[in-house]
Amino acid sequence: MSVNWTRESAAHLLRRAGFGGTPAEIDALHARGLEGAVSDLVDYEAVDVSAYEAALAARPYNLQRITGLQQWFMDRMAFSPRPLEEKMTYFWNLHWTSGIAKVRGETLLLNQNQTERRLAMARFDDLVVALSQDPAMLVWLDNATNRVGRPNENYARELMELFCLGIGHYGEEDVREVARALTGWTVANYNRDTGYNAATFVDRPQFHDEGSKTILGRTGNFDGYDAIDIILGHVDAEGSVSGRFLGAKLWAYFAGTYAPPHVVDALQSVYAADHSIREVVRAILLAPEFYEAHTRKSWVRSPVEYAVASVRMLEGTSDFSAAANALAGMGQVLFNPADAKGWDWGVSWMNTGSLFARASLANTLSTNRGAAGTRFDPAAILAGHDVSTPEGVVDALAGRLNVEDVAAEIRDAWIEYVLAGDGGAPGSWTNTPEAVDEKARGLVHVMLSSPAFHLA
Amino acid sequence: MYSRRDFLIRSTGFVTVSAMVPRWAVRGARQFEESVGAAFGGRTLVVLELAGGNDGLNTVVPYADALYPQLRSRIGVPVGDVLPLDGRLGLNPVMTGMKTLWDAGRVAVVTNVGYPNSSLSHFAARDVWHTADPLLAQRRGWLGRWADGALAGNGNPLSCAAISQSLPRTLLADHVGVPTFLTLASYQYLADGAHPGDSSNQIAAFLAASGAEYEIANAADTLSSVGRDAIASSDILQTVGNGYVAMGAYPQNSLGAGLELIAQIINADLGARILYVTYGGFDNHAGEDVDHDPLLTDVSSSIKAFFDDLDGHDKAHDVLLMTWSEFGRRAEDNGSNGTDHGTSAPHFVVGDAVVSGVHGNPPDLAHLDDNGNLAIESDFRSYYGTILSDWLGADSAAILGAGWPNLGFVEKGTT
Repeated sequence: MSVNWTRESAAHLLRRAGFGGTPAEIDALHARGLEGAVSDLVDYEAVDVSAYEAALAARPYNLQRITGLQQWFMDRMAFSPRPLEEKMTYFWNLHWTSGIAKVRGETLLLNQNQTERRLAMARFDDLVVALSQDPAMLVWLDNATNRVGRPNENYARELMELFCLGIGHYGEEDVREVARALTGWTVANYNRDTGYNAATFVDRPQFHDEGSKTILGRTGNFDGYDAIDIILGHVDAEGSVSGRFLGAKLWAYFAGTYAPPHVVDALQSVYAADHSIREVVRAILLAPEFYEAHTRKSWVRSPVEYAVASVRMLEGTSDFSAAANALAGMGQVLFNPADAKGWDWGVSWMNTGSLFARASLANTLSTNRGAAGTRFDPAAILAGHDVSTPEGVVDALAGRLNVEDVAAEIRDAWIEYVLAGDGGAPGSWTNTPEAVDEKARGLVHVMLSSPAFHLA
Repeated sequence: MYSRRDFLIRSTGFVTVSAMVPRWAVRGARQFEESVGAAFGGRTLVVLELAGGNDGLNTVVPYADALYPQLRSRIGVPVGDVLPLDGRLGLNPVMTGMKTLWDAGRVAVVTNVGYPNSSLSHFAARDVWHTADPLLAQRRGWLGRWADGALAGNGNPLSCAAISQSLPRTLLADHVGVPTFLTLASYQYLADGAHPGDSSNQIAAFLAASGAEYEIANAADTLSSVGRDAIASSDILQTVGNGYVAMGAYPQNSLGAGLELIAQIINADLGARILYVTYGGFDNHAGEDVDHDPLLTDVSSSIKAFFDDLDGHDKAHDVLLMTWSEFGRRAEDNGSNGTDHGTSAPHFVVGDAVVSGVHGNPPDLAHLDDNGNLAIESDFRSYYGTILSDWLGADSAAILGAGWPNLGFVEKGTT
């Protein structure tokens, strides 16, 4: 089985390994061929980001406020020249998250985000140690108060259940023993005087439980490093448990479907070599199964991806303040999840209220005729297209938003929309600047709010 | 009877949205009255989820048990301060509103509710409670399954609603949509303010794009039905607060706001049967001594305000409120002045139809399991089943499986 590398494959890859592409970006990626395209995305250190970083630093995002952090992160997703770096950072933000409501220090969440970016494609072991010693995480899941004789199981449980192994691959005894091993990993300088922003990791031997522990069948006077080694080294009849867990979750994230067993086997084998996240991701993006028809448009965009992709694919501009304000209504307050699991993916993002919140944000993007804020230029994206007919307008915008594959009846309804006069009166299409300004904007809003664009 | 999908396809085709509202409001309400029978048709169940695992031992305190202050040496409620329910159990002293309702005979406390071999994972336990299936083989929620049988096809887009950021799986159904929102201010399809005459065109095109049907249910199918449900419910929900004057003193928090919204929906006589609200923050691994009392205060004062409000509008007789939480907490407090994940817990059922009192024994602190957790006395399916059969008039065995004893906390044949 091999990949039939088409322009649609490149658009699919850019939607999944990034946040969607413009027509020019899709063309350029397609021209690189499968291996070249995947390498361009995966080996992203080769891409110079200095100009973007300088521009980002000059933007007035207040990183001492949670909304500022949200704007900053969405800006990176939309405009960084390394889309997969941000897509992977976002994966870790979804998989292994902390929230401001409990952590309180915005800088700690910024630092966690930077750690997740720095180690996004590293050895999994390095990321697991770094996040287990991350001050925001130590506060968020209470390991900061986990001490000898006074164990706190919260982090130990989620380390195995949510982050590394998955439920069913450890017992309650293991939860208690891992908690004991993690005693002493805590924070210093976590206090109100510094707005809870100055905390650093510290390993306090006097708080560590020096007794013998038994974790996943092994016994010894283990510390946190040992516990992580044992957890990530855990194998069963099917191979590395963490490799299967991480491989399946990354597959679900990129492919938008459950991983077939043979794919999990293959990803586990890649992982087993050196626990390299990067090589697992590369294997996913090169897999023929990733490009099969049923994986297309199977991923429900999260609210953040929805906000970012709409701006990016329309070549719009945004300070993401409108998006940050819409996050609560859309069901995803970035950097403030309700619990340790973060958010459920897939259709659980979508309900009637969150749909209206998305449609309202899309309306802001579509109808902002001012010079600032979240906006796009309808005339610019229609330039070079034949828009003398309503079919031409619909096909140009549908292609731009990658929703050209809708059912014929939906395309007909969009054409009917372009033709309709006020209140549904019979009308006609004339290619004037006024008509483009009304109907192209309206059509973009309808397309962005329709099911087709909620799927990537 | 045709399916909800059929109904929506027919009703949303290209009719204007404003024309839809009076049609169901008049006809839909009558249809569903006929479908469920007059005796139960006017009843509403309010489900309050306490997310995170509420600490039952500090909520309904076994204050007469000498083991309680030993196990809770760090964060125990001073036993002299509890609000006694009987000689053995007392409410946390901050729960004065709940105590007032108790004194009025409107509260049933069901103790030691859980299920065997409890999962101590939040996420597994939550799914167990949502689906009423410890094996996690059920996809739909327990009330979703009920709704599919009792409400599908009634034409009422507000049969159920959730005041929540996401659709609670308890209400996940195949044939009944559930409007979901935290506030109603933005619960509408906004279009281009510069071209108001184009708004209905956009809504028509949006509905058409949400009208595709697929042979095999997929994500686009689900998104389409959500889109139709959204449009169908928005106009009427925009009006529920019009002229409404609250008759209860709701506290300034999301639970108070959520229950006030629920009271508005009930008062508007929209035929809502299940109304759901989530309140979070109960995962008190650390600092429970500081954090838990305010949460219980919010719960108690919000429920009290809610029933005051219903009383003021003469609506309380048709409303039953129940609480649930994915688990209780470990019997012994931990070194972080908190509690780790546990098993069984007490839950509250509030309304005029309850059999007031404590249903069950106090928790047995002398016989904990291997993890230091409390034993189960009443299976949660008995808790659900009692509500299904005695409040909603349902065949609870068909929804939950047979064999779950009725716990008798709902009056039969009242209201």
